[in-house]
Amino acid sequence: MSTYRYSEQYRPPEARQVTDVAIERFADIFEVDPKLMTAHVVQQVFPNWDTLRIVASRHDHLDWMHRHWAEKVVSGQRLLDELDD
Amino acid sequence: MTIAPALTEPVLDDLRQVVGGEHVLTDRAARFNRARVPAPFPVHRWSERVPDLVVLPGSTEEVSEVVRIANAHRIPIVPRDGGTGLTDGAVPLRHGIVVDVKRMNDIKEIDEVNRTCTVGTGINMLKLNEVLGRYGLIYPDDPASYPCSLVGGRIGTSGWSLIGSRYGHSRDLVLSFDFVLPTGRVIHVGDGAGRKLSKSSSGYQLKHLFMGHQGTLGIATEATLKLYPKPEAELSPFFAFPDYDSAYRAVGELARAGIATFAGAVLFDEWKVDYLRRDDEAYIPQPADVRALVCAVAYGYEDEVVAGGRRLMRIARDNGGRYLGDEVSEGDWAARHDRYATPLHGRTLAGQVIPMSWHCEDAAINYTNLPQVRLEWHEIVRRLRERFDMFDDWGMFAYTSADTGVDYLTEIDVGIWEQRLDDESWAAWVQAKKDIAEVALRYGGSISACHGSCREGEVDLVPQELGGGYDVMLDVKRALDPNNIMNPGKYGLDRAYEPEAGGAR
Amino acid sequence: MTDISPHDTGSLPSPNGDGGSGATGEFVQQWRNAAYNCFSSGHKFCREVCPVMQVTRNESWTPTAFHANVVAMEQGELQLTDIADDYVNCTGCGACELRCPNTLFTGDFYRFRTRTVDLVKAMRALAVDQGIHQPGWQRWNLLTDERSHEPVLGEVPVSQDHVRDWSQGLDIPVGGESILFVDCEAAFYRTSVPRAVAQILRRAGYEFGLMNEQWCCGGPAAEMGYLEQSQRFARHNLDDWRAGGVKRVLVLDPHDYITFTEDYPKYFGEEYDIEIVLVVELFAEMIADGRLAPSVPIERTITYHDPCRLNKRKGIWQAPRQILSAIPGLTFHDVDRVTQWSYCSGGGGGLPIEKPELTARISESRVDKAAQLGVDTLVSACPWSERPLSEAGDAKAIDVVDIHELLAESLGIEVGGRRGQ
Repeated sequence: MSTYRYSEQYRPPEARQVTDVAIERFADIFEVDPKLMTAHVVQQVFPNWDTLRIVASRHDHLDWMHRHWAEKVVSGQRLLDELDD
Repeated sequence: MTIAPALTEPVLDDLRQVVGGEHVLTDRAARFNRARVPAPFPVHRWSERVPDLVVLPGSTEEVSEVVRIANAHRIPIVPRDGGTGLTDGAVPLRHGIVVDVKRMNDIKEIDEVNRTCTVGTGINMLKLNEVLGRYGLIYPDDPASYPCSLVGGRIGTSGWSLIGSRYGHSRDLVLSFDFVLPTGRVIHVGDGAGRKLSKSSSGYQLKHLFMGHQGTLGIATEATLKLYPKPEAELSPFFAFPDYDSAYRAVGELARAGIATFAGAVLFDEWKVDYLRRDDEAYIPQPADVRALVCAVAYGYEDEVVAGGRRLMRIARDNGGRYLGDEVSEGDWAARHDRYATPLHGRTLAGQVIPMSWHCEDAAINYTNLPQVRLEWHEIVRRLRERFDMFDDWGMFAYTSADTGVDYLTEIDVGIWEQRLDDESWAAWVQAKKDIAEVALRYGGSISACHGSCREGEVDLVPQELGGGYDVMLDVKRALDPNNIMNPGKYGLDRAYEPEAGGAR
Repeated sequence: MTDISPHDTGSLPSPNGDGGSGATGEFVQQWRNAAYNCFSSGHKFCREVCPVMQVTRNESWTPTAFHANVVAMEQGELQLTDIADDYVNCTGCGACELRCPNTLFTGDFYRFRTRTVDLVKAMRALAVDQGIHQPGWQRWNLLTDERSHEPVLGEVPVSQDHVRDWSQGLDIPVGGESILFVDCEAAFYRTSVPRAVAQILRRAGYEFGLMNEQWCCGGPAAEMGYLEQSQRFARHNLDDWRAGGVKRVLVLDPHDYITFTEDYPKYFGEEYDIEIVLVVELFAEMIADGRLAPSVPIERTITYHDPCRLNKRKGIWQAPRQILSAIPGLTFHDVDRVTQWSYCSGGGGGLPIEKPELTARISESRVDKAAQLGVDTLVSACPWSERPLSEAGDAKAIDVVDIHELLAESLGIEVGGRRGQ
């Protein structure tokens, strides 16, 4: 269960530089380097729950799209492994 | 801006009688919001394209009556379906009446035995497939606008589908449709007289003529579509390559392999990979030696997909492709059914984020000419970007159009910062578009594989592309639309009405 | 008027400062980048998930139009008076902004997402600020201001004296560290919901009280554009909590949950130190750890309606399903959360007050989808959805039940109260 506390929502985890233009705050969630959003478009206030909500929804959406087009997904890795057998 | 003089109260009353008062919209917001498609256009010139009024008909009969009234009063008509097209087909150039067909979105019949359905053209494919899925069926017309474009717009543009190499494109999937001609007369267009025939040799084959006309010949109102079993299995491997040439070789071999479940292959060039590295979670962490990508897609029964899939994997591997793994492959493919560009991927030369519109050139190019077209197109955009820091090269894709690998939808994506677009930069862009189209023609291609070619810049080259065929277009236009009311100003068809316009030469 | 800072909307002032002067000009400056971020993409992936668009098919009332209008204002092509009425046509469900690729695919990457709900609220607030009122909303908020609760019973007055009537016979204390906040619809109209919640909490041994002087949360006023009133109500409630030593507010209504976790933080900033707990999540946890053990079989064939404010706007969809899975006897025909992004009851955003006929069409469409599953019961977790859904359900012989009512029944609790009038 996720109790909402203001103090937990507005302090994102420390950023790690991933490339010249991207950082990572949450595991496997990349973000634009904030210094690229200073001249024309500025970043919005983004509570942590919102970042996590969007990421989870994206995964759910992509899963949904697979199901929408086909009953199941064949693993390319499995086929590749079979070539080596 | 005022209502056109022809739209006097008696005409408005007639229209209200036909479609009901609440379905005739004259307010400014309703009109401005039907003057826009995703294709970039200088915002300060928005009002040039605003219709005088909007009608929302509910049936073929209502559309026919509206067109009859417009024709009698010589009022321009512009059909609007999803308004998601990239070539301005749904944008009024001469004001007049926008006929917005979105209310006509009923599913009238699902024929499980003959594998067809009949729908109002205002229906969206994703919503249709949500229903068809319950019957184990699918209508596999899959543009990048899959979740929002409408069947009628697919007819008007003769749309291209991501998985067309397996299932065909809109022209193959739409069996027949009711069509309102510019005089208001309703005809049924399709193979033969039946609604559900896929092949007839009786008479002229009119279906192609009434698809891809960008609303210049009339309005499709009800369509019968070809259905397939919903695929049991999907495979969508993505492969990385150290250079464009090896990726190019691989995509050619994949497409030529003749695998029955093959639904398409996509080649991403170096510019596209660089672009993805800006912001795509799958590609940001990829090593620097990944410079080009290829994906191949298969749909069908699981045993078929597995058998064909082994061949695809072997071909890619033998051509030096490194499989990117199931997670990236599956995630990226699932995102391609609804992939339009995202504005914030735009960058100034200094690297700052800006909201850019997406322009997508979409020539049809033979496999053998892809490498050279690519270099010339990037050079055109580089020169443009050098002059104006409001354009951005978002890279190129090449997608197979057919199951034999003959030709590719060849796409260069260009970001355009519309907030800053002025007359000078717009003129430079129009010239660049013309240059891009000229390259496509010089290499024996077509200006457009999917969007249509009636935008400023490219449209001037259409007579050159079609030659005597363009003269036939003029004759057809004049014959079917004697008063030039149907989407006037598009495709240079006004010249059909010039005094010196003769017959086909 | 609006209390939006550039960091809420992602806009810096434009170099040429177009869009008019005064409040309207300021509004356009604040929203211009957000508006262009939609206008420039022209995706319209919002369209087929928008509940209003689905039933009206009118492109003037789409999220795309709501953004494009701001661009047209900046260009001097549209005035507030041209468009204010269009912004009535939104339930605030959040489907559009979640389904927008600018949120779903890149919102987290840029920390910049589509905010149609905020935009609609801001435009409504601008209209009120400029003296453009919707008659139904004006009256509703006037009565709310007079009575400190929304006039959910129509001609039957609501008042401070009756805000705890729902709890009659339950002997719930007033005050304490944890209090149960009951929204106006549940407190006065569907009283079975708070009665179920209170009795389940008690069954689980969870100590809680009622608020000293509870006013409407203020969320509806903000949704309809009456921002000053909303802030005044919020201030009263926060002060009341503070005065009573409240640390934790338990919320049963998704609309309150949004207000307390999105509006109040904006109003109060760092000062806002109250914990907000969503009851449906708490109950799922209590079932998981054994504090609650539903055992009375309920022989119903159900489907679950994902309340928009939980599923779309907060990503909360698992907890209600965990609860339903734990109730014996149910035959559950579930529809996944992504399909339900395009579902809505039509009950939100003030729509039923100003355009009840549109709400009715949306709820009919929702109930039709349930009927196609062959169920006899549609379970929701949002009191505001339950009135329009029940009205639509009557015609299809589908019973609309709140998830808390159902859980209480399976715990052998005699709920009492009313499921509406």
